Amino acid sequence: MNFDLDQEHRDLAAAAGEFLSAAASPAAARAALDDGSAIRPGREELVKSGFATITVPESAGGGGGSVLHLAVVAEQAGRVLAGPSLVTYARAAVLLGGDEERLTGLADGTLAVAVIDDGGPVLDAAGAGTFLALRDGDLVGGPGTVTAREPIDATRGLGDVTMAETTTWVRDAGALWRHGERVGRTILAAEGLGAATRILELGTTYAKDRFAFGRPIGSYQAIKHALVDVYVAVEQLRSLVWWAAWAADHAPGELPLASAAAKAAAATTLELAAETVIQVHGGIGFTWEHDAHLYWRRAKVDRFLLGDDVAAFDEVARLAMEEAVR
Amino acid sequence: MDFDDTPDEAAWRAEVRAFLTAHRDEHAADPRAWQALLYDAGFVGVTWPADAGGRGGTPMQQAIVDQETARLGLPALINLIGIGMCGPTVIVHGSDDQKRRYLKRLLRADDLWCQLFSEPAAGSDLAALRTRAVRDGNGGWRVTGQKVWTTLAHLADYGILLTRTNADVPKHRGLTMFVVDMKAPGVTVRPLRQMNGESHFNEVFFDDVAIPDTERLGEPGQGWTVALTTLMNERLSLGGGGTGVGAKPETVARHVAERIGGLSPDRQVLARQQLGRGYVAALGARYTGYRQLSRISHGELPGPEASAGKLSGTRSARDLADLAVRVLGEDAAVAGGTWQNLQAVLPGMAIAGGSDQVLRNIIGERVLGLPAEPRVDKGAPA
Repeated sequence: MNFDLDQEHRDLAAAAGEFLSAAASPAAARAALDDGSAIRPGREELVKSGFATITVPESAGGGGGSVLHLAVVAEQAGRVLAGPSLVTYARAAVLLGGDEERLTGLADGTLAVAVIDDGGPVLDAAGAGTFLALRDGDLVGGPGTVTAREPIDATRGLGDVTMAETTTWVRDAGALWRHGERVGRTILAAEGLGAATRILELGTTYAKDRFAFGRPIGSYQAIKHALVDVYVAVEQLRSLVWWAAWAADHAPGELPLASAAAKAAAATTLELAAETVIQVHGGIGFTWEHDAHLYWRRAKVDRFLLGDDVAAFDEVARLAMEEAVR
Repeated sequence: MDFDDTPDEAAWRAEVRAFLTAHRDEHAADPRAWQALLYDAGFVGVTWPADAGGRGGTPMQQAIVDQETARLGLPALINLIGIGMCGPTVIVHGSDDQKRRYLKRLLRADDLWCQLFSEPAAGSDLAALRTRAVRDGNGGWRVTGQKVWTTLAHLADYGILLTRTNADVPKHRGLTMFVVDMKAPGVTVRPLRQMNGESHFNEVFFDDVAIPDTERLGEPGQGWTVALTTLMNERLSLGGGGTGVGAKPETVARHVAERIGGLSPDRQVLARQQLGRGYVAALGARYTGYRQLSRISHGELPGPEASAGKLSGTRSARDLADLAVRVLGEDAAVAGGTWQNLQAVLPGMAIAGGSDQVLRNIIGERVLGLPAEPRVDKGAPA
């Protein structure tokens, strides 16, 4: 048993963190809300970095890495509220598997994709030129018209998409589609992990520095215990994300349960983290200038992506009962 | 990252599994004989050094024994507290004579042990304890006071006993630890009944009990340091991080699966939400326990973050047990079954071995680095 990141994962996280913290930031997320400034790092820079297409085979110009590699990068992306989402690249790499030409386009940036789910605006529709969808059991692709929606979290690039003409790329793609969703849920949870880890750091730092009634507010159990509950949830989320990513790479039979559990835990944990840390900050916590609300916005949007948390908990329960009586 | 056993771990697991499977029916008759059987086979005190009667093995080997024991549904060993806490304290702080007399007998359950720390006025604030040990003028000690919540005291032959030997110094500095003979004159054990009706713990009264100085563990006044050894080993023995608390989530899922068809459709939706939430929390605790186990297998000692497992494991166990009772339908409001009993056990699990609130203080201060609450009695004589 060795359930821990290896040194190569740690090195990758450090490299990705260095790139992403220079290329994206909560300030950029705020600017995108303020005046529609570009989402950072944006598609071009993200693809050029190579981090986005880490799961694309090397033969197509990708990194030839595992889902766990991408999850490690996604955690770093979540910390700085980077966009577009690595979820989009993770799903596209699955859906385009074996299609060297399109994978090459994904890796060199000429194919700017978004993946359409039923019900609700599409993640990373902003800036996408090619859309992937499941129609009558087939994977279809083609151009589309995007109507941007008023953002809660501008980094998610949500928009309504109308596809005029589509071509069928893969027939009977139901199982492939579901696998893409599960990998996507895993990476979404990894981004949520990074965001939750970062907002907890902000809250912990503030609780040490801010004094009230003559002592740091973090010395009061009311504050301390609230932050500890976030810490515990974050560490459990970390375990579930790693498990789901490992399952995607090595144990496909465990992926349905692991990815649903990670998705559900990410939704509830990031929300708990953001709301707790706003509360810990007091007045400054609910100002526009403070970063807390940008993480809170991420929480309020992400919980609905790739199915909401209620659906994910329901799926966990169904899978658990199925396995228990098998 | 790799969830599979190493070849060495796999071989050890096969050996343990084969033995336990062959002998599984022998556990019920006599818990002491069961432990002795396992000891003679090399499966008790796996991590203890050989000169302490142990196997000199690794924490991972011990964890595999624990996993296989749980997998077969076998009960915990009768002398669990002795093995997990008292024995390791004797190993670190005991004299050669004490080690020779006590340790092997403890591992074989020839003697049962208990831990005498908590008192009526000293629970979370353990160092406030009042049980007094004074020199008797002949080089020995006399102990008077009361302990409480003492698991197994009604069966124990020996206990490790934390006492106050100096009331003129701050509370942490005036403590001394002893090994006490539970059959000595002046020791009275009274069972306490828990809220589920069963009696597993006790109050213990000491009325001028004589303890030879040779039974001291550590120097006079060093009792707090000795106690920290005990508590650190408690964490080590809980390596799974509290994931053993309550029923396994798979067991709850099976129970709910068998019953959910009898619920109305809207109730089924609610039951699945509760199961899903409890299950995710239980999986989160389980896989966080695997991370701790991996660190232990790399030779690290479990740090204060191990407390998080008990905190969350207790919570998810309560949520799942609540659902398990709810789906009993008209039997949910009457006693008698496993699930009704479990729901009466679990509130105590959030207190025993460190209350949820104390664990949150430990994690907040030692993991997150938040400042400690000011202590008004700090530095004052006990």
